[in-house]
Amino acid sequence: MDLRAGDSWGMLACLCAVLWHLPAVPALNRTGDPGPGPSIQKTYDLTRYLEHQLRSLAGTYLNYLGPPFNEPDFNPPRLGAETLPRATVNLDVWRSLNDKLRLTQNYEAYSHLLCYLRGLDRQAATAELRRSLAHFCTSLQGLLGSIAGVMAALGYPLPQPLPGAEPTRAPGPAHGDFLQKMDDFWLLKELQTWLWRSAKDFNRLKKKTQPPPAAVTLHLEAHGF
Amino acid sequence: MPAGRPGPAAQSARRPPPLLPLLLLCVLGAPRAGSGAHTAVISPQDPTLLIGSSLQATCSVHGDPSGATAEGLYWTLNGRRLAPELSRVLNASTLALALANLNGSRQQSGDNLVCHARDGSILAGSCLYVGLPPEKPFNISCWSKNMKDLTCRWTPGAHGETFLHTNYSLKYKLRWYGQDNTCEEYHTVGPHSCHIPKDLALFTPYEIWVEATNRLGSARSDVLTLDILDVVTTDPPPDVHVSRVGGLEDQLSVRWVSPPALKDFLFQAKYQIRYRVEDSVDWKVVDDVSNQTSCRLAGLKPGTVYFVQVRCNPFGIYGSKKAGIWSEWSHPTAASTPRSERPGPGGGACEPRGGEPSSGPVRRELKQFLGWLKKHAYCSNLSFRLYDQWRAWMQKSHKTRNQDEGILPSGRRGTTREFQTLSPGCEISRFILTGGCDPKHQPYCPGAGGVIPAIPGLVGPPPQGHPLQHPQDTETVEQLQTKGSLLWEVQQTPGQSATWWSVTPASGQSRG
Repeated sequence: MDLRAGDSWGMLACLCAVLWHLPAVPALNRTGDPGPGPSIQKTYDLTRYLEHQLRSLAGTYLNYLGPPFNEPDFNPPRLGAETLPRATVNLDVWRSLNDKLRLTQNYEAYSHLLCYLRGLDRQAATAELRRSLAHFCTSLQGLLGSIAGVMAALGYPLPQPLPGAEPTRAPGPAHGDFLQKMDDFWLLKELQTWLWRSAKDFNRLKKKTQPPPAAVTLHLEAHGF
Repeated sequence: MPAGRPGPAAQSARRPPPLLPLLLLCVLGAPRAGSGAHTAVISPQDPTLLIGSSLQATCSVHGDPSGATAEGLYWTLNGRRLAPELSRVLNASTLALALANLNGSRQQSGDNLVCHARDGSILAGSCLYVGLPPEKPFNISCWSKNMKDLTCRWTPGAHGETFLHTNYSLKYKLRWYGQDNTCEEYHTVGPHSCHIPKDLALFTPYEIWVEATNRLGSARSDVLTLDILDVVTTDPPPDVHVSRVGGLEDQLSVRWVSPPALKDFLFQAKYQIRYRVEDSVDWKVVDDVSNQTSCRLAGLKPGTVYFVQVRCNPFGIYGSKKAGIWSEWSHPTAASTPRSERPGPGGGACEPRGGEPSSGPVRRELKQFLGWLKKHAYCSNLSFRLYDQWRAWMQKSHKTRNQDEGILPSGRRGTTREFQTLSPGCEISRFILTGGCDPKHQPYCPGAGGVIPAIPGLVGPPPQGHPLQHPQDTETVEQLQTKGSLLWEVQQTPGQSATWWSVTPASGQSRG
């Protein structure tokens, strides 16, 4: 087996181009609307829900891949997954992200991840597993729509696919089954990390759009809390 | 670096890459493994093997020559380290493995054979597919819900345990028209099922079979030949309602709607009802429900909850005499019988021996019968008074009865016993013992174990051994008494078609 940069990602990258053309959610009607608050809250809730859904899906899927993939401390080399969007980020960098960049990074990440998820070549998986995967993809699509809604509410444009960023690379040398399993593992891991991060991203956004509850704090202090 | 050999047939969709992009990839794809890790290759890549066979594998390290050595490498299979005696070092950069008598793969995605460096990091992996070729699928059964589609189900051979992913494909073709078709919609009613939604032909038989394929081979079931019209079924009857019958404590009335598909197609339906007590698992089945959409269950226990289900069988499709396939049972509907008014044991309300029929159930039964007669037979003059007169007449001996010219003159003598009421246009003409249940006019369906107290007086015991005539059914008294059902016929006007009323006496109960 050849541990080169995974080509399966390249093969799927062309499919990602399709996803960029998601219909943009029309901007919320500004007259008398409650602002982006509710949709930020909704997006936050969605990330928590997806996180929960992913836990169960990943458990089943990794059991299907078999040990050592379903072992808790499994840590294979992360070769094929170079093109996966990385959630890991320096704390200061993360804190200093402006709203637009924060939202854009989330949106782009999930677009990619959804694309790769859909391309999971698991013909051999059980029908039930395929159904769970399809269900998760639908939920992820919902999250994307929700993020798009927040961006529209705040007046940010949806990220467009970069020209030439998704070249239609031909499929490389045969990608062994074991390599494919490792790619699947990292996809699920990255999805998990992104959902953890997104919860914090949207929590941060939520706080920024809320008025600070100063009066309440004083009241509590007066009672010695 | 050796290019991986083409995977099994399932992956033949990957085309061999054009040369230029491949070169590009070679440049771009410089190994970017974790710090200090080398790369390696396991051979064979993703092999498929029969259970019990052996495997010789090698792990060849390449990359940085100074660090790359076969020393310290080890194998794991499905996360478990393999015994050192199974490995041996072939040369400076290759570790070999010999496995014998392989078991079936632990998971259908393949066993994970991994080559590790000394520090435990993963250098290379290969998926082993160990299993059996599929066995012949069997037991194919098919049905059509509306004569336009077909759903089929089968059983995989050897209980489906081949340890490898096995793909099942349902194929069909018209018997004399040669072209094979493949079913596309799988798992519609369970893991081994398929649904053909359209483009089916009638009047020519279909040949249907299932092909099972996996990495090790394929198997084909026997061919099933069928005609769509012979396997028609419907959805179960919708809207099944069960309700009490007035205050009658041993009866429930079941009503349903015929399945909508019947309206579109030229067939009739016959129905079956089954019911059970709440905490029992034994169903009682009522079979002769024919074409009606209502039925009355009798002989039930008072104050009990019953679960009732109905199912439907289309028959007479385009005039054929054959029945179709029974539908699924409808969702269970529950209802409870009213509580018994009289204290004492419930279930099978017994009449006191030879006593007055003034006790609840009989009186109620009779009242209902009279009410029904009034409604359907315009017998407005019938009353309890008349009934009591009959009863009195019945309690006379046979001889005196036959000679009696009193209130109730018997008309025609001979093999049937007849009574007349004084009400013109309404004649309880004869009571006849029969075992059948006339489907058209029968509000009662004698179910298995149905018990309705006999109404003494109206259905007094005919002489033993007396054969009776009946347009539909002829049986002797002994036979009928063991069967235990009685019918009497009410003719609205002489010569017109009759309506029947049935009563089943309680077993072991004295009559009259």
